[in-house]
Amino acid sequence: MDDLAALEREAIGALGLPADAEVWDAHTHLGRDRDGHHLDPADLVGDLDAAGIACACAFPADEPGADGAFTAANAAVLAAARRFAGRIVPFCRVDPTGDWAPALARAAAGGARGLKLHPVAQRFALDHPGSVGAADEAARRGWPVLVHAGYGARPIAAALAALLEQVPDVRLILAHGGRGDFRAVREVALAHPAVGFDTALAHLPDLVSIPPDRLAFGSDRPYGEHASALHLVGLAARVAGWGPAEVRGVAGGNLRAWLGP
Amino acid sequence: MARPLTADALRVAHLSAQAEMALVRRDPVAGPLLAQAARAADGLPGGPSLALAARLVRLPADDAVRKAAQALCRIGAQEAQAAVLGAAR
Repeated sequence: MDDLAALEREAIGALGLPADAEVWDAHTHLGRDRDGHHLDPADLVGDLDAAGIACACAFPADEPGADGAFTAANAAVLAAARRFAGRIVPFCRVDPTGDWAPALARAAAGGARGLKLHPVAQRFALDHPGSVGAADEAARRGWPVLVHAGYGARPIAAALAALLEQVPDVRLILAHGGRGDFRAVREVALAHPAVGFDTALAHLPDLVSIPPDRLAFGSDRPYGEHASALHLVGLAARVAGWGPAEVRGVAGGNLRAWLGP
Repeated sequence: MARPLTADALRVAHLSAQAEMALVRRDPVAGPLLAQAARAADGLPGGPSLALAARLVRLPADDAVRKAAQALCRIGAQEAQAAVLGAAR
């Protein structure tokens, strides 16, 4: 496996970061997904260390629990952020078709700093009243809302536009570079300055057609991993001709600004 | 590393993506697809990643190995796509 380790090192180095840049990962999951993927906090931090990544936003895997409200999974992410302060930024996850408001309030009281919505796993549209309500509440709290927009996504551009019409000041991060419905989503997103994309398991041709100030590095651990995720961003920088300031932004600066103080 | 013709890079990108999805689905066709992708990428960007992935999938079935092969497929596809995009700019 020496070849694998060498390729991993090469991929991690591909980003060609300026010396003063910090990498932040916008997209990681903790816990155990229904599909068997799992990651615990210590392993996430070990992965971050191995890849030279300063910090990661983390939210529950698809693990709604017995109450269907992600209560235990959100509590576990908040506990992980307390245990690894400065390395994990906790986001909560809710099902907007259920009783989302108490779940979001509990997470906020526990220190959550963002919201994750997964329209495919929880089977809702972005313009569902619960989605709009949860996004509005997140905006009120100054949180970004990270939305799954990748594998399995149905057409989401029209619902995205409807959501943004009702909550125009929400900071949205469309996961996976919006690859589930990219061309239509890009048109909507670029008309709204507060909408960005993460690069987790994204498609290179999509990333190079998005302004770099709208992008935030992401890995989708444990579904993705850091080596190919960093490699992807390094290639996008090379193909699109990003300068050092733009690379710094995509690597972590944009995300830090979106997270706020 | 040779600069690939666009058609060669497109072939690698296509085969890598097919192989990655076959690995995700645990489809036994992943091995033959990866072998084909590795041959198509020999001497081109992405070639080393795909050659290693093709070797990995010949090991006894294991989730960690399968995930590593998936990551290598992604790197192979990304390299090929970068070659196509670079040629188009």
